[in-house]
Amino acid sequence: MTGTSRMAATALVVRNVVKVFGNHRAVDDVSFEVPRGVVYGILGPNGAGKSTTLRMINDIYAPDAGEIVVLDGLRPGLEAAQRIGYLPEERGLYPKMKVADMIELIGELRGLARAEARRRAQRWLDRLGLAQWAGNKVQDLSKGMQQKVQFATALIHEPELVILDEPWSGLDPINAEVLREVVEEIRAAGRTVLFSTHQMEQAEKLVDRICIIARGQKLLEGSLSEIKRRAAADGLISLGFVDAAARAAAEPVLADRALVAEQRAPRAAELADCEVVLAGGATSSQLLAALLAAAATLRRFELVVPTLHQIFVERVGESAAVAERRPEAE
Amino acid sequence: MMRDLHDIYVIARRELLERIKSKWFVAITLLGPIGMIAIIILPALFISRGEGTKVEIVDKTGVLAEPLKAALTQLRWKPEIVDPATPETREMDRIRDKQINGFLAVPADALDSGTVVYRGDNGASQLVQVLLRESIRLAIQVERGKREHIADATLLKLVAPPGFDAQQTDGKSAAAGAGSFWLGYAVAYVLLLVIMLYAVGVMRSVVQEKTSRVMELMVATIKPRSLMTGKILGVGLAGLIQVAVWLTMGAFTLAYRDQILGLFGATAGTGSLPSLAFGEIAVSLAFFFAGYFFYASMYAAVGAMVSSEQDTQQVQMPITVLLIVGFACMTVVSSDPRGSMATLVTMLPCWSPLLMPMRYLLGGAGVGEVAISLVILIASTVLIARAAAKIYRVGVLMYGKRPGLGELVRWLRY
Repeated sequence: MTGTSRMAATALVVRNVVKVFGNHRAVDDVSFEVPRGVVYGILGPNGAGKSTTLRMINDIYAPDAGEIVVLDGLRPGLEAAQRIGYLPEERGLYPKMKVADMIELIGELRGLARAEARRRAQRWLDRLGLAQWAGNKVQDLSKGMQQKVQFATALIHEPELVILDEPWSGLDPINAEVLREVVEEIRAAGRTVLFSTHQMEQAEKLVDRICIIARGQKLLEGSLSEIKRRAAADGLISLGFVDAAARAAAEPVLADRALVAEQRAPRAAELADCEVVLAGGATSSQLLAALLAAAATLRRFELVVPTLHQIFVERVGESAAVAERRPEAE
Repeated sequence: MMRDLHDIYVIARRELLERIKSKWFVAITLLGPIGMIAIIILPALFISRGEGTKVEIVDKTGVLAEPLKAALTQLRWKPEIVDPATPETREMDRIRDKQINGFLAVPADALDSGTVVYRGDNGASQLVQVLLRESIRLAIQVERGKREHIADATLLKLVAPPGFDAQQTDGKSAAAGAGSFWLGYAVAYVLLLVIMLYAVGVMRSVVQEKTSRVMELMVATIKPRSLMTGKILGVGLAGLIQVAVWLTMGAFTLAYRDQILGLFGATAGTGSLPSLAFGEIAVSLAFFFAGYFFYASMYAAVGAMVSSEQDTQQVQMPITVLLIVGFACMTVVSSDPRGSMATLVTMLPCWSPLLMPMRYLLGGAGVGEVAISLVILIASTVLIARAAAKIYRVGVLMYGKRPGLGELVRWLRY
């Protein structure tokens, strides 16, 4: 593949990017690529460096090291800004502006002519069910409605790359659904969406590719289906026994380190008695045969395909998944 | 570059519209002139010339009572001549009973060395003292002349007040001294007012962008420098409109001062604005605009450093002190416009906008010095605006504690 065609197929390249605040490495050597036309999720716990990364892509911060290439070989900056839509983590609009004027303002600053910006602002207000509020001041709107206005400011100029920082925070289920539809439409139009979230359930419904980061470092990147298939092949098996005697009979097999690398408590306790991770080289059929040979009568034998949430918790670790202090706020 | 100009224009338009559409702006713009008219009328109404003051004249010379009564009647006082033998205690009683305001005790030797004494409930008033002293001086001088048999015509010439005027000049052109001083003072005062009202408004606007959290969206969309420049222009333009309305109405008020005062039954004092040469207007305006930009940039930087309106109080203190000291330095310039101290303070960019117009109006600085001072001011404004934009860019997203000095220096290198 030549350089230019590869460029054209890529919406964003983040290469070995580092950002340090004081003596805190908010983003530590993170790299990933976002192909065009996909929905890409940056997943991580609070304080992982997601917002800092998105801010660097939007030229709010300059990286201390590494490089960022946006769309057709552009650096983050004014030219790129015309082709990027951004929903910042800090939601905020001019409280005294009229709703339509606010959307129009951002449209105009993102490169639309004033009349065109006005027309599109109206269309977005219609689309988001806010048409009757167009002439009201932003401060008169509820928080949820303001959030929708904020979406309109990110989308009005039909950007090739839409960046949404924690788009679901503060959204009710109905508006979350509206947002999901909008994201699907953008993908269908061949444009690219990059969002960050720590809400795995929302992400799982939408993403094509993910990048998990924690404590400023990348832990995992790739297509969601591939990651799931790989995680299933890692050999996590959920077991259920008919009774305590069967369970006791199984213990010697489960303790065999040639077969089972690790035994842990099941995630769904009502269905399974335990989960085991196969030892390297062992297969699920070997385990099944050994269990049957030991007369451990099974009620359940399932190759677990983990949810995104499980993969996330597995990778990030339970402790890191709880809210950490916010280094950006220092 | 075109992009930047477009963004600056859009931001300036937004700031301007948001201001001039607010009810407060309209109210203050329209009520300001009413306040100005009040400033002219109220003193004229209140600082009357003691009309209606009831005074009794106890004259033991027998010659001063009539001319004094005539003089005071002309001031619209209500003087009465009473029996020269009237005892002081009776007059004091009449003051206590509020039948009169006071009385003049003119001793028999008043034409020679005696002292005329006024006692009254308004005896402490500067105005009453001045009016009485002048009336008494004139009456006694005239009577002394009569005693020396000087002809009336000669006497009038003798007591006529002398003409006197002081003028400031550099030997090339004559300028009215007091007029130039007051004009320079007015320019400095209006600039101070504009800085207080609008440059501080820039700071407030920046802080509000932080408190409403719209800042992240804005700095992601356009260059912080465009955002700041547009903001300073938009807020400044709103201020300019307001000041222009005020000045127009103020000039109108001054031009028709007598008629307006007449409506309220008051009369005008003397005094009018000196006329201005083109150069003087140009210099005043140049420093006015550059001064606004200088201080607006400083205030914008302050706004970027803090995260709430309360915090601004402390951080803007140094700028406020700078302004007050500059305003106080006005006497340095007015007392010796050509001195080295005056030269120094009109070269420093923080004070030149306040002081240079006055120094130029007083003839203390030539065109060359004015140009140097203006270049220093503009250059430092550009530097401060650049630094402010950087602080802005980094500081706008800092919501926690205020940065220390070391941190600020680090921000400037981002």
